[in-house]
Amino acid sequence: MTMPYRRPAAALAFALLVLVCGFASSRANAPAAQIDCDMIVTAAPVYVALAELHGQERFPRGAQLLLVHAGKSEPLVAGFAASADANLSFDAQTVLFAGKRNAGDPWQIWELTLKDRSLRQVIATPADAERPFYLPGGRMVWAERTPAGFQVQSAPDGHPVDGTTWNPTAGPGVLPLTYTRGNAFPAGVLRDGRILFEAGYPLGEGATPELYLVYADGSGVESVRCDHGRARWGGTQLGSGDVVFTEGASLARFTSPLAHAVPVAAPHANYAGAIAETASGAWLLSARVSASAHYAIEIWQPGAAAMHTVLSESKDDLVEPVLVAPRPRPNRHPSGLHPWDYANLLALDVRISRDGALRGTPAHVRLEAQDVAGTTRTMGTAPIESDGSFFVEVPSDRPIRFALLDAKGAVLRQEHGWFWIRSGEQRICVGCHAGPERAPENRVPAVLLRTITPADLTGKPPASALSAIAGGSSK
Amino acid sequence: MNGALVNTRKLLPHAAIAILAAFGLWLVALSSLAPATHAAQVENGLEVYASPLEIVVSPDGARLYVLCQESREVRVLDAAKYTLIKSISVGHTPRGIALSHGGDRLYVTNSWDDTLSVIDTRQLAVIATWPVAGEPSGVVADLAGKHIFVADRIANDVAVLDAQTGAEEKRLMAGRGASYLALSPDRSRIYATHVYPNLPPVRTGFENRTPPQSEITVIDAARATVVDRIPLKSITGVFHMAFTADGRLGAVAEYHPKNMIPLAHLEHGGAFAYTLTLIGADVGAPIEIPLDELDRYASQPFGVVFTLDKRSLYVSIGGSECVLAIDVQRLLHFVHSHPRPANNSFATDLAASGNYVVARIPVGANPRGIAISRDGRSLFVANRLDDTISVIDTRTNRMASTIALGDGKPVSAMRHGEQTFYTARYSFQGQIGCSSCHIDSTFDGITWQLEPSGFGRDIVDNKLLEDIKGTEPYKWTGTNPSVPVECGPRTEKYFWRSEQYDDRTLADLALYILALPPRPNRLHSPDDELTPPQERGEAIFKRAVDKFKKPIPESNRCSYCHSGPKGTNQKLFDVGTRKPSDNSSLLKTPMLTNIALTAPYLHDGSARSLEEIWTIYNPNDKHGRTNDLTKDELNDLIEYLRSR
Repeated sequence: MTMPYRRPAAALAFALLVLVCGFASSRANAPAAQIDCDMIVTAAPVYVALAELHGQERFPRGAQLLLVHAGKSEPLVAGFAASADANLSFDAQTVLFAGKRNAGDPWQIWELTLKDRSLRQVIATPADAERPFYLPGGRMVWAERTPAGFQVQSAPDGHPVDGTTWNPTAGPGVLPLTYTRGNAFPAGVLRDGRILFEAGYPLGEGATPELYLVYADGSGVESVRCDHGRARWGGTQLGSGDVVFTEGASLARFTSPLAHAVPVAAPHANYAGAIAETASGAWLLSARVSASAHYAIEIWQPGAAAMHTVLSESKDDLVEPVLVAPRPRPNRHPSGLHPWDYANLLALDVRISRDGALRGTPAHVRLEAQDVAGTTRTMGTAPIESDGSFFVEVPSDRPIRFALLDAKGAVLRQEHGWFWIRSGEQRICVGCHAGPERAPENRVPAVLLRTITPADLTGKPPASALSAIAGGSSK
Repeated sequence: MNGALVNTRKLLPHAAIAILAAFGLWLVALSSLAPATHAAQVENGLEVYASPLEIVVSPDGARLYVLCQESREVRVLDAAKYTLIKSISVGHTPRGIALSHGGDRLYVTNSWDDTLSVIDTRQLAVIATWPVAGEPSGVVADLAGKHIFVADRIANDVAVLDAQTGAEEKRLMAGRGASYLALSPDRSRIYATHVYPNLPPVRTGFENRTPPQSEITVIDAARATVVDRIPLKSITGVFHMAFTADGRLGAVAEYHPKNMIPLAHLEHGGAFAYTLTLIGADVGAPIEIPLDELDRYASQPFGVVFTLDKRSLYVSIGGSECVLAIDVQRLLHFVHSHPRPANNSFATDLAASGNYVVARIPVGANPRGIAISRDGRSLFVANRLDDTISVIDTRTNRMASTIALGDGKPVSAMRHGEQTFYTARYSFQGQIGCSSCHIDSTFDGITWQLEPSGFGRDIVDNKLLEDIKGTEPYKWTGTNPSVPVECGPRTEKYFWRSEQYDDRTLADLALYILALPPRPNRLHSPDDELTPPQERGEAIFKRAVDKFKKPIPESNRCSYCHSGPKGTNQKLFDVGTRKPSDNSSLLKTPMLTNIALTAPYLHDGSARSLEEIWTIYNPNDKHGRTNDLTKDELNDLIEYLRSR
């Protein structure tokens, strides 16, 4: 696992911008394009994309963060057997990263102050902690290995904002943001404050990498788009608001007007994960010409026929480019979670779905939940109104899923995968897998005309039983 | 000071005076090339900004007439050089502007004066000021030069005036809050829209659980009669309408609230859709199309205009501070190539606009009125809250230039507060601003259900903001002690659902809201003299014994809870209106300022009229002793309340 620092300057080629025709010809030892600010990249002899999502090590032979300045690279930090996953603070003063002091250590989260190169360990856990990102409001997120897989966690980043706790509901300590089995890794923070994360699809049980969103208090989890297809990972939000990501080995983007991913017409190559956008709108990409080649850092102006090598190394993959420049701070999410140990869910019309029409009339909804060990338990059923609405109280902070049943109890539709609702969250679903493009009709759901008390599917003893117990004990 | 001037003149030789005179003439000549700015104004110690609201282009394309609401003037600009030709003063809070068919007259409604200014466009002077009751707003002139039509916001009608004398001939019932008028290209039809939804015509007991309904009132211009009412389902604010030159396609800007659903989150159009309804032969039955996208919204559309060649449709988006460019052919293709929803609305499809919106062009603060130059190459956008006109090149859909109307004075705290009120930038994905629900800083005439109360609980009527200073606590439950608290963390958490403004901006917003004056109450005599019914009603309002000579407990007298200059003692009471879905029976006494305008009534909007408060919802006299009153006496009480 140890990866000592190795001859960076000798292996790297830098020059003033030289036009290079075509990607393939711009490879090893070719003159490279220069960018106008410093850059941090992760260099690794072997980079296994998406290995993490399968519980494997993506840098099986170690990795090293490099700072690229004025055409020369140097180790970003000293004294680490491995370092990766750089994320720059919004003011470009500090860098969060995952590092191992010794090869046998788990990945931990550290912070480097660029000005004086001072270091501090931000997250110290017995298990691996990776992929840190700064959040607004003095918090941060990262992925931490748990018995249920890597989970996204949040905590204060150690930089109090005016001495104020900005997000009191989120709490001062570590707050888990994901609650399904499987591996989930933060990929970025969108300007609207939501955290973009990678996990398998269907969530909680599937293996196809997909991109999801969650608020900074763990509420509102959903797919970015519901046109699930090829492996999606490594999303980056551009200044335009579009999210560019790797789909398979190509690039694609989510754009606000469309409900589906759009391929990016970039030069043919294998791309790896996150990109960085320069001030001029060019993209820094990690790409390679074939599976047998190493990833290099390329610069590409969207629309151009070719891209140009910024940084390459003959024996290393170069991934995770990060520009050392201030960037806009995303919005902080003001958590509105209630101080409850359960959650409420209101479905407006279960018949609305991207999966097409139901084969019958839904009469009941069945809730299943997983316990800590991953055992699935049926929590009960609740009636579905004639307009397709239902209102239930559900267990929170654990994997749940719904199934629609007809009057005879036959399953009409089973939810794709698992999701969760945070404690104190009140959530409304437009339909069942309706997709983010589907807005609700403006009508009162019939269930709320019938009752304002949700059907209790939490598995708690009914209130009457609790009263009886209390009464009995008092005697 | 005057003495010093006299002394100076005494010292000047004749030659110097001649030079100064020549210099003065040169200055006069130079004024015709002056920028479009205007001297700074101050009123009541506050900066007065131009606040351009509407623009019209003269028939020959040589002039722009810019209606400046706060500075109460029409600025006449050279349409080529964008220089100021003249500023013409009009009345209080002008809102509508229109040219006569030939362009020789310019009509401006003065909404708080209840007048119409008639401007001679050759003299560039007001030649007449005609009375038009009921808060005149939108205005159009017919083809024959016979009638002027004026939409009246609080009268809910369209006044028909003699175009020569201004004499009112009749009124046509329009939608509630009638405000904007559009002419068909042949000027044969007038289309009236309104900013508050119509009240349900039939009592069902579920009025406050019924989606709002609005309409486009269609008027035969020659006969001055209503010939159609086009229903707009689930629509509240309806603003400008425009037509293609061939008359085959019309589009109207509107708000589509989601007030029937608990306001739990904003993603996926949780609070509003912002839409256009299309009418005309090109689409067949009216069809609603959304302007929003999945991740960003077109908050508060206002102005609509087609290019003459029918290639493009532009919509100003007040809260999103942009203009949308729509490709008309692609729009029609979308409408015809997709299965038409049963409710004739694509409003639930956030991916629809990607089929026809081709550009989102950033402009200034709170863009409102828009107009196209006669050659079709320029789109003019009135940015109400930063005193500029954006000029957009319609060939590139890019900003070509910006016309400054202000004199460069800094943005005051009050102005900053107003900008904050009208922008949607602080809400999640820019979906809502204060003005989404408080249209033109008033209210929206509908009820909402806020998530913190619990799903289905505490249906609450939205209230008028004008004159609320000194009426705290706020909210129907009285849980917010001040405007900064109301608009601060609570609003951030449960409305914006996103990081909001800083403390200074919050203070400015509160300053603006607390300074909102009440519009003049037309039923209240300027000298405070009451009409006989109002006098009788006041006596009932203040009475201490009922008609059976029984004392009315102090706490059950109208004048006890509704005391003070604004008609509230600011305390909470149980007036017997609690519904099973309400968390509390205690409600804060609402103020009475302009209560006549703010239907529906009661905390949950269940009463469609003031009458229903007592005829239906006060069976046990808990909301004041009223069951001893006759119908006439109740009418008197209501007449008095309407004068408050």
